[in-house]
Amino acid sequence: MKIALGPLLYYWPRQSTLAFYADMADAPVDVVYLGETVCSRRHELRLPDWLEVAEILTAAGKEVVLSSQVLVESESDLKTLRRIVANGSFRVEANDMGAVRLLSSGDAPARNWIAGPTLNIFNPTTLSLFADLGATRWVAPPEMSRDQIRALRDGLGHNMEVEIFAHGRLPLAYSARCFTARHYNLQKDTCEFRCLQFADGIPLKTREGAPFLTLNGIQTQSAQVHTLLGDLPAVCAEGVDLLRVSPQGQHTLEILQIFRQALDGLIPPADALHEALPLLPAEPCNGFWHGRPGVDQHIPA
Amino acid sequence: MKIPAFTLPAPLARVGARLPQLPPTLALVAGLNLALDRVLPRDTLEPLAGKRLLLKVTDAGMALRFTLTPRGFRPLLDSGRPDLTISATTRDYLALALREEDPDTLFFSRRLLMEGETDLGLLVKNTLDAVDWDSVSTRLAALKLPFARQLFARAH
Amino acid sequence: MTSPRPIELVCPAGSLPALKTAIDHGADCVYLGFKDATNARNFSGLNFDDKAMAEGIRYAHDRGRKVLLALNTYPQTDNWQRWTGAVDRAATFGIDAVILADPGLMAYARKTHPDLRLHLSVQGSATSYDAINFYYEHFGISRAVLPRVLSLAQVEQVIANTPVEIEVFGFGGLCVMVEGRCALSAYATGESPNCDGACSPGKHVRWEQTPKGMETRLNGILIDRFADGERAGYPTLCKGRFEVGDETYYAIEEPTSLNTLELLPELARIGVRAIKIEGRQRSPAYVAQVTQVWRAAIDRVLAGGQPFRIEQAWMAELNKVSEGQSHTLGAYYRPWK
Repeated sequence: MKIALGPLLYYWPRQSTLAFYADMADAPVDVVYLGETVCSRRHELRLPDWLEVAEILTAAGKEVVLSSQVLVESESDLKTLRRIVANGSFRVEANDMGAVRLLSSGDAPARNWIAGPTLNIFNPTTLSLFADLGATRWVAPPEMSRDQIRALRDGLGHNMEVEIFAHGRLPLAYSARCFTARHYNLQKDTCEFRCLQFADGIPLKTREGAPFLTLNGIQTQSAQVHTLLGDLPAVCAEGVDLLRVSPQGQHTLEILQIFRQALDGLIPPADALHEALPLLPAEPCNGFWHGRPGVDQHIPA
Repeated sequence: MKIPAFTLPAPLARVGARLPQLPPTLALVAGLNLALDRVLPRDTLEPLAGKRLLLKVTDAGMALRFTLTPRGFRPLLDSGRPDLTISATTRDYLALALREEDPDTLFFSRRLLMEGETDLGLLVKNTLDAVDWDSVSTRLAALKLPFARQLFARAH
Repeated sequence: MTSPRPIELVCPAGSLPALKTAIDHGADCVYLGFKDATNARNFSGLNFDDKAMAEGIRYAHDRGRKVLLALNTYPQTDNWQRWTGAVDRAATFGIDAVILADPGLMAYARKTHPDLRLHLSVQGSATSYDAINFYYEHFGISRAVLPRVLSLAQVEQVIANTPVEIEVFGFGGLCVMVEGRCALSAYATGESPNCDGACSPGKHVRWEQTPKGMETRLNGILIDRFADGERAGYPTLCKGRFEVGDETYYAIEEPTSLNTLELLPELARIGVRAIKIEGRQRSPAYVAQVTQVWRAAIDRVLAGGQPFRIEQAWMAELNKVSEGQSHTLGAYYRPWK
C-alpha cells in the first residue's frame, strides 16, 4: 500500500511551501501531487517553481504527479493547463474534462495519466472509457463509500490503480465565487490574497457554534477532518493501491509517519487514530467510507 | 380571476378558535376522500399513511387535524403533536387551490408555514401541483356529480 | 442590421400541468425527469410516470414544441441498469433530446440509440471549450448547458471555440457552487445531487418555531434561524447563515435568484442558443409567470429594431417569485465573484 500526498489545497507563503516540500523529500510518502488546483490567482509558486520542486522530489525517490486546476474558467487557465499537460516529464492528474481532452488527444496522447477525484467517475463503464483514453490510476470521489468503490472495481475489466482520499479536510465544493474574499467584503479580482493568512482555511460554524465547514477561497471544505486511520484493516482488505493524505497546516509529517507505521503493522489502527487526534486541526469524521453522511464519525474516536 | 389580498378580521379568528373544529375537519376529509383515487393518486400519497397532519387556517382560527388510513382520510380527535403542520390564511389557501400563487413564493414570504416533516409537505404540494384538472373535470363530468362542473370551471 | 439567431426558451416541468402551462405560455422546449434518482430534482411527488410522460410529449409535439429529458445524475455500479433503462424509455417515448452528465451513460446512449440527440447537463461541470469539445468528439453531443460560473466574456469565448450549441441559465434558483462539483449535501445528509438527485433533501429538513425564531435544520445541523416576519429561504445548506470569525451572515450565498433578463441582447449577440429557466420543483403558477415574461422578452430581442427595453412589470413579476424576492446577475457580472 502506497501513501500519496495530495495537492496542497491551501495557499501558503512561498517559503513555507518550499520548506514543507523539502520535508516531504524525507517523509514516508511514495507519491506527491503538486500544483495549484484551487485558485488561478494564487501565484506564490508558478508552474516553473512547481516543476523545480518536482525535480527535487523525484531525485529523492518520490513519484511526482502534476495536478490540474479543478475549475477552469479563462483562456489563461487553459494556457496553464496546456503547459501542465505538455510538461514532458511528469504524470498528470486530470481534474476536469478539458484536461482529459488535452491528455488524450493530439499526436502523442498520454498513456499513464491519473483520473482525478473531481471527474465524477462512479461506475465501471465510465472508468473503462477513461482507461481506454490512457488513465492508469483512478482517484475515487471522496463521497464514494467502501461498498461503492468495491462494486466499481469488481465490475472493471481493466487494470487500474485505485487511490482513495484517506486523510484531511474533505474538499466538498468549488465555486466561481471566493468565500474568503467575501468574508472580507472584497471582490475576487482584488482579494488581497487573504488566503495566505490561513494555513488551514477559515472555520465556519453554525449559529449554535458547531464547527461545520471550512472556507478556502473558492473551495469549501468540511470542518471535520476525514481520516481512515481507524479503518485501515478494512481499507487494506479492499486492496486499495494508494491512500491520499491531504496536507494540513501543521503535523502533516507526523500524520504520514503514523499512517506508515499503522500500514506496516507497527501500531494497531485504534492506537494510530488515538495518536493522530491531537495532531488534527478539528474533530475526525469518516462517514463517507461507511456510506453515511460524510460528517459522521462511525467508529467512536 | 385574481384573488384580492384580504385577511379575515381578527375577531373572527378568536371566535373561530372557540368553535368546534370537527365539522370543518369532516368537510375537509370528505372533500379529500372524494378526490382520493379519482384525483389524488393513493400510491403517491402512501408516505402520509398514519401521519398526523394539521392544517391551520390562521385568520379563521381553524386547526384541522386529520390522517390518512387504509380507508381514506379520517379526522383526528386528539391534539397530539402533529408530524406536519401547514399554516396560511383563507385567502392564500384559496389562491393556492386556484393556482394563482406559487407555494414557494408564499413560503419565502412567510405567508405559508410548514413545520415538522418537510418531506411530507413537499409530497402534498407536489401531488396537488400534479393534478391535471383538465382531465379531472372531463372525468368528473362523465360521473355527473352535482356541482362538479361549476367547481372545476372555477378551479381552472 | 442582421437579426439575431433564434434563442430557444427552455422551461421546467415537474408535473404534467406545469408542462402544459409552459407550452401554453410560450416555451419552445420543456425539460422534465422520471420519478426517481435518474434526475437532479428527485423530490417526493414530483416528476413524470410513463403515462404523464406520454401525454406530455404528445401535448408538446402537437403544438410543435420539444421535450427534453434530464437524466443528469451519476449512476453507480449497482444501479447502472436503471439509468440505461431510462435512456431506452426516453428513446421509445420519442423524447427530443436527453440531458446527460455521465460519460459512460453518454457512450451507452450514443451506441444504443444513434439518432437520439444528446445534451451535456450542467451537472457535467464543463466550463471550458476543451471540456465541451471532449464530449463532442467522443459522444457527438449537440448542446452543452454551462455551469453558472462564467462571466459573459468567458461564455463568448466558449461559444467561439466549439461547434456545440450553448445553453445558459437565465432565471431561477442559483447554485453558487459549480454544478456537479458539490458534495455539501452528501456531507450533511448522505444524499447528493450527483448520486441521489437531491440537494438538502426534504426528508432531512425540519422547520421548528422556537423562542429564538423559526429554525431550520438539515439532519440536525442548524442552517438558519428567522425572526418573525423575516423572509425565509430554502434550507439549502449553502444559503444559510453561519458564524465566521465574529460575524453571522450568509457566508456563502444569500437566498436570491439568478435573473439575466437585462443581459438578453448580449446573450443573443454572442450566440447563446438556448436560455434555461430553473425550477422543476416549483408549481405551475411559477412556470406560467416566468415563462410568460421570458417569452415576451425574447420575442422583443429577436424582433430587433429599437434598443431592448425591459418592462417594469416583467421585473416585478420575476422578483415576486424569486427566493428572497431579490435577484443577481451571478457570475455573468464579474464583481459578484
